Amino acid sequence: MNGRHKTQSLPPKRQRMLEMILALGGLKEAEAIPPGKVSEALEQLRRELVPLLEPVLSFPDQYYTEFLDVIERTAILDQVTDESIVRDAISSIESVALDDRSEDVGRLLSLLQSALSESVHEGPTSPTERAPNIVGALQEIAVLVDEIAGAVSNFEEAARHTAQEAAASLGSLVSSFEEIRSVVDESAASALERIAKLGTSLRYGPLMRAVAQIRRAHADGRIDDARLSQLVSQNIVHELIRGLILFVLRQIGPQTVVRIAELLHLPPAEVQGAIVSMIDRAEVEIVAVEDSSPVFSRVLPRTPASTVILKQAVQQLRGAVKLFDDDTRQMIDDDTRQMIDDSLQRMTALLERLQLLGEFDESVLSESVTRLRELVSSVLESALKQASSQNMEDLQLLIAAGLEAFARFRLKIALEKGPSLVTGTNVYGERLDPQVYERLMDTYLENELERGTILVLIRKLGAMTAADLAQRTGIPQDRVFRHLLQMKRAELLTIAGERDGYVLYDVPHVPSEVEIALGTVCGLIPELERASHEVKQIVDNLRAEDIGRLASALDVFSRACDHLKKVTIGGTVVGESILTAVEPKVRSAVGITLRTRAKLPTTRPKVTVDELDAVDVPSVLDEYKSMMGYAPLVGFGTVNWDQSKCLGCKSCEIACPEDAIYLRPVFDIDKVIVMSEEQLARLPVQRALFYQLIRKLAATRPSEPITLQNDIPGIGHVQVDLHLCIGCRTCVRRCPGPEDGALELELKWTLPEVVRQLTALSPTE
Amino acid sequence: MAEKSAVLLCTCGGQLNLDYEALVDRLGEMELAGHVEVHDLVCQPDGLDVVKRLLAEHGRLVIAACTSQKLKPRVDMALQHDGVTAPLITYVNIREQLAWVHKPSPEATEKALDTVHGAISLSALAEPPSVVCKDLPRHVTIIGAGIAGLECAVNLSRLGYSVALLERSDEVGGHLRRLPVIAPTGRSGPEVLGPRIDAVMSSDRIDVMLGVDVKFVEGEVGSFKVHYTADGSQEDGVIETSAVVLAMGFKEFKPTMMDEYGYGRNPDVITQYELSTMLSEGRLERPSDGGSVKEVVMVQCVGSRSEQFKRDCSKLCCTFAIDNALELLERDPAIRVHIVYMDIRVPFENEAVYRESREKGVDYIRGRVCSVWQSGNNTYLRLYDSLMDQYFQLSPDLVVLSSALLPPDGVEELAETLGYAVEYDGHVKELYGKLRRVETRRRGVFAIGAVTGPQFVSEAITDAQAAALLVHAELQGGRIETVPRGAVLDLDSCVGCSLCAQHCPRGVPLMIEQDGGADETEKIQFKAAIDILNCHACGVCQSLCPSGATELNFLTNEQLWAQTKGALSHAGRDRPVTLCFYCEECAASTIDIAGTLHMEYPASTRLIPVPCAGRVSAIDILRAFEYGAATVMIASCEKNRCHMGGTGNEIAQAQVDVTKEILSAIGWDSRRVEMYRMFSAEPERFRSAIAEMVERAHDLGPTPVHLGTAGQWKEVVS
Repeated sequence: MNGRHKTQSLPPKRQRMLEMILALGGLKEAEAIPPGKVSEALEQLRRELVPLLEPVLSFPDQYYTEFLDVIERTAILDQVTDESIVRDAISSIESVALDDRSEDVGRLLSLLQSALSESVHEGPTSPTERAPNIVGALQEIAVLVDEIAGAVSNFEEAARHTAQEAAASLGSLVSSFEEIRSVVDESAASALERIAKLGTSLRYGPLMRAVAQIRRAHADGRIDDARLSQLVSQNIVHELIRGLILFVLRQIGPQTVVRIAELLHLPPAEVQGAIVSMIDRAEVEIVAVEDSSPVFSRVLPRTPASTVILKQAVQQLRGAVKLFDDDTRQMIDDDTRQMIDDSLQRMTALLERLQLLGEFDESVLSESVTRLRELVSSVLESALKQASSQNMEDLQLLIAAGLEAFARFRLKIALEKGPSLVTGTNVYGERLDPQVYERLMDTYLENELERGTILVLIRKLGAMTAADLAQRTGIPQDRVFRHLLQMKRAELLTIAGERDGYVLYDVPHVPSEVEIALGTVCGLIPELERASHEVKQIVDNLRAEDIGRLASALDVFSRACDHLKKVTIGGTVVGESILTAVEPKVRSAVGITLRTRAKLPTTRPKVTVDELDAVDVPSVLDEYKSMMGYAPLVGFGTVNWDQSKCLGCKSCEIACPEDAIYLRPVFDIDKVIVMSEEQLARLPVQRALFYQLIRKLAATRPSEPITLQNDIPGIGHVQVDLHLCIGCRTCVRRCPGPEDGALELELKWTLPEVVRQLTALSPTE
Repeated sequence: MAEKSAVLLCTCGGQLNLDYEALVDRLGEMELAGHVEVHDLVCQPDGLDVVKRLLAEHGRLVIAACTSQKLKPRVDMALQHDGVTAPLITYVNIREQLAWVHKPSPEATEKALDTVHGAISLSALAEPPSVVCKDLPRHVTIIGAGIAGLECAVNLSRLGYSVALLERSDEVGGHLRRLPVIAPTGRSGPEVLGPRIDAVMSSDRIDVMLGVDVKFVEGEVGSFKVHYTADGSQEDGVIETSAVVLAMGFKEFKPTMMDEYGYGRNPDVITQYELSTMLSEGRLERPSDGGSVKEVVMVQCVGSRSEQFKRDCSKLCCTFAIDNALELLERDPAIRVHIVYMDIRVPFENEAVYRESREKGVDYIRGRVCSVWQSGNNTYLRLYDSLMDQYFQLSPDLVVLSSALLPPDGVEELAETLGYAVEYDGHVKELYGKLRRVETRRRGVFAIGAVTGPQFVSEAITDAQAAALLVHAELQGGRIETVPRGAVLDLDSCVGCSLCAQHCPRGVPLMIEQDGGADETEKIQFKAAIDILNCHACGVCQSLCPSGATELNFLTNEQLWAQTKGALSHAGRDRPVTLCFYCEECAASTIDIAGTLHMEYPASTRLIPVPCAGRVSAIDILRAFEYGAATVMIASCEKNRCHMGGTGNEIAQAQVDVTKEILSAIGWDSRRVEMYRMFSAEPERFRSAIAEMVERAHDLGPTPVHLGTAGQWKEVVS
């Protein structure tokens, strides 16, 4: 059977049916491995795997015990401030069936539940009022900035270290890339194999997908060698370059185009081209400018909250400076002013460094960044309180409402800039219409008030959805939604997850060490539980087709080990000994399984269509029906049409439940002219007369059928689309043609016939 | 079975320039002519007496005179006076189609002879008439007890019919009950309804049924069965009735999905009809908090004239809005009313109300509303004034949406069993927009009032009265006694192909499944059923029937072929003749006008009338060629103007198209056959058409039939 034919343009129902038949008939897989070899391989796998399974499967429970112990000992749950993390943890655990939870998991759950109920009883804590002591705040800011700077230096040191290591591995990557490039033209196939290997160390998804697609297409014969060579030398090589660039950006850090080109030994133009396409794919972005050329970094899935908060703090502080400068009463002395400038400068530098770093371990910064934000807010607050303006009442009101300082700042600028635009002109000499200004201010103030209210609510009550907020504030939901988007864009809010399919919005929040630990461990509990189940079940009855699933289930344990090794409480890794002990065992279990899978690419015998004569098609249909609950077909067959009996009445087309039969506007006059007297005699009188008149009047003999522009009642050529026909015989039974009618269903009951019929491409006539 | 007919030739007062002597001589020689007589004025009492005498003596009569459109009514009336209905008379037009359009010539005489010959041949095969009697229940069912339904019920009851007046809601009167004022009379809805409701309630012939939902209807005119469910009752009720009048009115569009108005969310945004309800109940307050109403914005064209909801204008809403605006000012002159409109469309005398509203200070703003929102207790509205090109903001107490009028629920569902056609917008389609306004495609089913499209109260009342009279004309007081003209089905010949049911312009044939067929090996056998009393006698079924099972009782296949053969008696190799089948609607009228205008065209033409062009099949055309026609044409009504429900001329077109292809394929020239369409008064169009076909007959020369090559295809190597 020609494998290329079967996938083309079959209607879905037919396709499903065909696949079923092919599977049942054993035609699905092409390669054959003797059954003896299969069982031998399976037996070996079982021998090697079983001793490893016990420690692997039991390690999660050991770990939970240890984790629980640490938590209880340090009473660290009290430090969790973000309720949503506790809620998520609880729901993760609760997703595991009660019977499957180990004792320690159960205890962990009850611990979490009581922690949650306590925090609920406490109620939302109101933000503590702090005296707006600018100097004091500024001093503390200076200390905090130092602290953060220290931590950032550590991060940078670590990053440099990684970069150095990476530079070494980059060297080998680049040289193999160059080698591949030089052989692409000679043998695209072997180059592709090598790229595939390289792809695994680059871990660049698009490259791996493209390589896999092309390999599959080539193996199936969908693309020929010339096309393969073209695809590899162009598309694949380009993907490879993109993969290398990302490798550089991830391991060595943000770079300019020139620098990347140097590292990769490529012409800058080629790198530039790749970078442009990667910007389109949202894989890289510009983070800084160095000597007037842009510095690119990879796009992070999420900006760390610390960076965001620091950015806000910088903006707020700038706002405060502006307020102090605008004020004529000299509220602060020069020293204080100097201090603010210093802090601002250092914070700006810090922000840039954080942005360059991209990702880092936020838990270290958590405390100091949060405190920094409070302090900066208090500075801005006092600046605002001391400032004088006619619109101050509104501002005071907002401040009383605890409005986010950033928003207040925007508002203040608008309120103060506006009047000057009305009385004077802007730099272009244009003047603002007072009415327009009034309207502008009204909406503006209203908007800001609403946003302020929303922020206050979220701060006090935790993450909320647009619907919650609309209900609580009485603001129409679409407006709430617009505000939320606006504030999300200004990075005042982050998305904290979903509830009932609605997005939850929260203020940026830096998770602490214990929160990270809790989230990671509890998130893994249900995953490990499922994997454990699956492994046990598969190993109990080891079959060749389940090996793939077994490998991925075991891989869950392997990945869990990696995650748990990063979980620390009080700076030390939890259950380190357990993890170190189990890790090699997990890895070898995965390895053994994968090797067995490689040995058994397929498990089915190879058969040809013609060898399927013995398969009983009605029983295949029954089997299909019992498996799927229904059968799309009643049978397989060919509908034969006898032109000499057809009245062109369309009854078949109207009656067909599947729209498989239709009357084409074709008049088979070439057949009419040579119809026998017997054939004419059995037709209804008017129809016979029609044909007889044509014969009587004909001066020449028509040699071909007439194709008509439009449907003509009573005339036509019946056509059956066997792709759609389900063999129900309705058309045959409905046909009013003479004798038994013009249609006849010839059922096909041997599998080769059926397969050929199903795979035939054009509708038969 | 061929019977002889008498022939009566009229000279139209001696002014027809024909060779009557030759005609009488030659016709007398014809086998089927029993007697030939000439009279000067057949249409006058003397002449009508001759008609009576000849008919009495010979039984069958061919009258060759002026157009039958003029003569036939006179003859019929005279005969009816003597108690003779449906006489066996065949009319031949030798005036408009002959003497007035041809110069005296041997060809003109030949044409006259041939035409009368054809008529005699047809007459010879005519079946004696048989009277069909049918007793019907004197009962009519009206669905919907709004103003249209009530008015129709009152009228029908006075005509002596029992009426079942079904109403879905629990009160009669429909929308009108809640209208405080109706332009231009200024009376309120209840005032208009009052006397009618009284008449309905006090009549013992009208059975008002409330809370009733019609599920489906079976049967045909004279024997409909209306199945319904009543509130609180589990079982279906059935009403046996003779005719059904649809008067379901309309449904006001509830624009909840149009976010800009906030209807459904903001209680102070209401529809125009909801305002009417408030006003007629005497309360005027903000629905949200019961506050007083000082400012009202009315928004026109909500849903109307928009592709999404209703494509067309809803026609009434402008007047509705103005009525309500005036009523508001009547209650409290201090209220400010703004009407935001696209175009104000007030037909009839309603223009006066519009002027009045202008004078009373209603503020008309041309533009659209952008959005309506709530803030605090107030509703705000932002609108764009397209005349001033400015945006404005208002804070009205009420926003009133003049929302579209949609067809009522259930029109589509009922159409499935009642068989009437539905317009693209979901309203019931009228049979013919100009002349047959309240009839539907299905005989015995009438549609009145807003169910056929938005209507003013006065229009609905007129509709209702018209429908009552038409119902009476249809049911004839309960006893139909007639010589029916229409299709007769020979059940034994019917093969059940359903071509007639598929293509009948009026959906008369029904396909009935025969017993058996339960076993999967057996045939699924159908037979057609045609009630001749429902038939409109177009002959489409006949031209499509493969077995000749259905035939018009006044124009069977054999009759048409005999007439064709007779009319082509003189056609031959040296005498190319053009045969024209013309429909007895627009084409007949146009041909008569061409005659009246003495528009000359060649005499080598033969004209044969058919009830509708759809009666002519490919077989009929081929037969004409067999009998010696050089060219054949069909003259029919214009596209989309077929008087037989719209599709007869399309069937004819298909027959001409396929015949052209066949002719080409068998060695003929396809230009020998053509289809021409014309409106009812386009004589020049007909003249040039027939001149074209005569010219083709000359240009193309003898046909294979004339040359003797027809049927010789076996010898010809193609």
